[in-house]
Amino acid sequence: MRLTPEQLEARKRRNLAIAGGLVAFIVLVFTITVLNLKRNIDDRVEAEAAGRTVEAVR
Amino acid sequence: MTEPAAAPAISTAQPEDFFQLLKPRVMSLVIFTAVTGLVVADGEIGWLSAAIAVLCIAVGAGAAGALNMALEGETDALMRRTRGRPVAAGRVRKNDAMAFGAILSVFAVMLLGMSTNWLAGGLLALTILYYAVFYTLLLKRRTPQNIVIGGAAGAFPPVIGWAAATGEAPWQPWLLFLIVFLWTPPHSWALALYSAGDYARAGIPMMPVARGAKSTRLQILLYSLVFVPVAVAPGLAGLGGPVYLAVSVAGGVAFLALAVRLWRSRAGDQPDKAEAVGREAALYDVRVEAKPARNLFAFSILYLMALFAALLVESLTRTVSL
Repeated sequence: MRLTPEQLEARKRRNLAIAGGLVAFIVLVFTITVLNLKRNIDDRVEAEAAGRTVEAVR
Repeated sequence: MTEPAAAPAISTAQPEDFFQLLKPRVMSLVIFTAVTGLVVADGEIGWLSAAIAVLCIAVGAGAAGALNMALEGETDALMRRTRGRPVAAGRVRKNDAMAFGAILSVFAVMLLGMSTNWLAGGLLALTILYYAVFYTLLLKRRTPQNIVIGGAAGAFPPVIGWAAATGEAPWQPWLLFLIVFLWTPPHSWALALYSAGDYARAGIPMMPVARGAKSTRLQILLYSLVFVPVAVAPGLAGLGGPVYLAVSVAGGVAFLALAVRLWRSRAGDQPDKAEAVGREAALYDVRVEAKPARNLFAFSILYLMALFAALLVESLTRTVSL
C-alpha cells in the first residue's frame, strides 16, 4: 500500500507527538521518584532527630 | 440517524485532533477549580508536586472527555454544537479515541497516586468512570435529570485538588463540590433552552425536550434559589474572606435577577433563529425571546469563575502575607 503525502505527513506528526508524550512521561516518572525519595529521606531524618519511627512522624 | 463522517482507512488525524478530544475548554475550568481546591487546602505540598498533580487532574479530565467523544460520536454528529468534534467529523476513528482516552486515564490516575496520594488518585479514577460510564452510557439518554446527576463529574476537581494537597477530603472541599454541582443545572438548562432542537434530534431527553420550556424555566429558578445561598456559604463558613463574600453576594443577586427574568420570559417556547437557519455560526445568535436564557448561561460561567477566583486570590494573599 502506498501512502499519500498527506497521510505520510499526518503519520509523521502523530509519531512526533507520541515521542514527545513518551519523553514527558519518562521525565514525570523520574521527577516523581526523586520527589518521593526526598520526602522519605526528610521523614527519616526528622524521625531520627526525634527518636521516633518514620510512621510516627508521618 | 446520521452517522459520523467515515474516517479514512489510513488515518490522516493530526495531533491537534487528539488534543481537541481532551475538550480543552472544559479542561481549563477543571484546572482552575482544581488549583483553587489545592491552594485553599493549604497543605504541605511542594510547588513541583502541586504542578504535577494539576497536570494529572487536567489530563484525567481530558481523558474522560476523549472517552465521552468516542462513545458519543453518532450523537455529536447530529448537533450543531458538537458536529465538528474529531470523532463526529470523521477525523479520528472511534476506537482510536477510546484507546487514547483509556491510556491517558490509566497514566493520569497512576501518576497522581504516585506523586501525591491514593485518595486523590482514587477520586480522579472515580470522576473518569462517573463521567464516561455512569453519565455518558447510563444516564444521558435515560432521564431528564441527566445533567443534575451527571453534573457531579464536573464538581470533583476541587475535591481532588484538596485531597492531593492534604491527603484528606473534609467538609470544605465538598462545599466547593456542592457549588459546582448546583451550578450545573441552571447553566446547562439555560443553554438547552435555546438549543433544544439539537437535543431532540439527537434523542437526548434534556429538560426542555422532555418537560417543555416552561417547566425548565421554573426548574432553573428553583435550582438558582438553592445554588446562590450555597455559593455564599463559604464566605460565612470561614473558607472565603470578605472579598469572596462580596463577590458571591453581588454575583448571587445578579444571578437570581437573571433567573427570575428568564422564568418570566418565553425563552425556549419557539425554536431559535440558529435552528431555523441551521447555521453553526448562528448557535449563539438567538431570538430576542431566548436572550434571557443566553444571558443567564453566559453570566453563570462568569459567576463560577469569579467565585473560585476570589477564593484563590484570598488564599494566595494570606499565604504571601504569612
